[in-house]
Amino acid sequence: MSTTRDAAPGWLRGLPDALGYPLTSDGRLVTAGVVTVLAYSVLVLSTFPQFTIQLLTRNPADLLYGIAALTRETYLSVGWLGLLLVVTYALLTGIAATHAIALFRRARRTSASTMLGVVPGFLAAGCASCGAGVLGALGFVGAMAALPFEGNLLRLGGILLLLFFLGRTGDPQTCSIT
Amino acid sequence: MDSKSKITRRRAIAAGGATVLFGGGVAYLASGSESDEPEYVPETFHTSEETTGFGVELAGRPLVGDREATVDVYYWTDYLCPFCKKFETETLPTVGSEYIDTGDVRLVVLPYPNIGEYSMPAAVWSRCVWRTVASTDPEAFWRWHGTAFDAQPDSGHDWADEATFREITERTDGVAVSAVDSCRESRGDAIRDAIETNLDVAKSAEISGTPGFILYNRDADAAGKLVGAHPYDTFSDALDRVLEA
Repeated sequence: MSTTRDAAPGWLRGLPDALGYPLTSDGRLVTAGVVTVLAYSVLVLSTFPQFTIQLLTRNPADLLYGIAALTRETYLSVGWLGLLLVVTYALLTGIAATHAIALFRRARRTSASTMLGVVPGFLAAGCASCGAGVLGALGFVGAMAALPFEGNLLRLGGILLLLFFLGRTGDPQTCSIT
Repeated sequence: MDSKSKITRRRAIAAGGATVLFGGGVAYLASGSESDEPEYVPETFHTSEETTGFGVELAGRPLVGDREATVDVYYWTDYLCPFCKKFETETLPTVGSEYIDTGDVRLVVLPYPNIGEYSMPAAVWSRCVWRTVASTDPEAFWRWHGTAFDAQPDSGHDWADEATFREITERTDGVAVSAVDSCRESRGDAIRDAIETNLDVAKSAEISGTPGFILYNRDADAAGKLVGAHPYDTFSDALDRVLEA
């Protein structure tokens, strides 16, 4: 008898293990937290790179001012939904970073052929720089406003891509049997 | 998985708590209230038909401050831009009292329509309001300008349309809607072309967003650039350096 979970696609079945992976050690939890905060900062600051560069080159201590100002700007431009998507994106990036570290360590221990299995994990971590991230960096909040749903569709696409690659990896401590 | 690699209740609670804290922090920053700074009203306005040494055409543009000020600040803005509102409410009042009203700086208000569909029509409204009051009651333009920024809601760009800007114009003392309408009808195309001319100056200075500023020392022919709603200290440092150039 097949359960609902069995009927779900492979990447969806692996998702709970993937999302829970940072909870398996204190170090991973801290890593995920730090990377999440860093990812959020980069995503928000990259919405107006010219401003960010000027602000930080004049006075790096204005970093918090920049994050606060651009968080407010992002909210005013794309609303709560857009901001929620950015936060979710950052959280998933934090989780993906712990996966990438685990997979990299595993690949170093095993043969080079295992590197192929590492690719989805790295894609997951690297995906933080695709979608909303890079497109934001190419322009500014105003440019994102020209995109469908003011860029929220793009942000959602990036999140789904991250979820897909995380689900593909599942628990990076176990090897999937196909 | 060894015992060290198990999901424990402690870690789950810590992760949940940290996530709630992180989300709460972001929500707090996003919902931050506007500044309580008193609304700034410049002491002097003037008009000019010149083109400045930096290449900015001044004809028909609102000029704030002393005609002979050492430094021009070319301020490219968009009434739909939340970051411009932040500059207007949090930084401009102090820049105004410390640099503009003292005669050191002249502010040139220039449109940079880049946020939404109504950015350009809003810019045309602005130019026409200035045109109708510049010689008689220039403060009325500033009242209109402030009311337009005040009209920005908490989120989105859908608020900006013909009805909203008509209503803003109607409730601004000293501005006659009929005269503004007549200007929009007869001079709309010419104003759009003129906006593009000064927009080219901004683009050639690599200003890619609003608010964007060129700080130009007219005597020394030296310029600096700021993009975004920087804190007052950044503006002050930049203005002092350009004033001393």
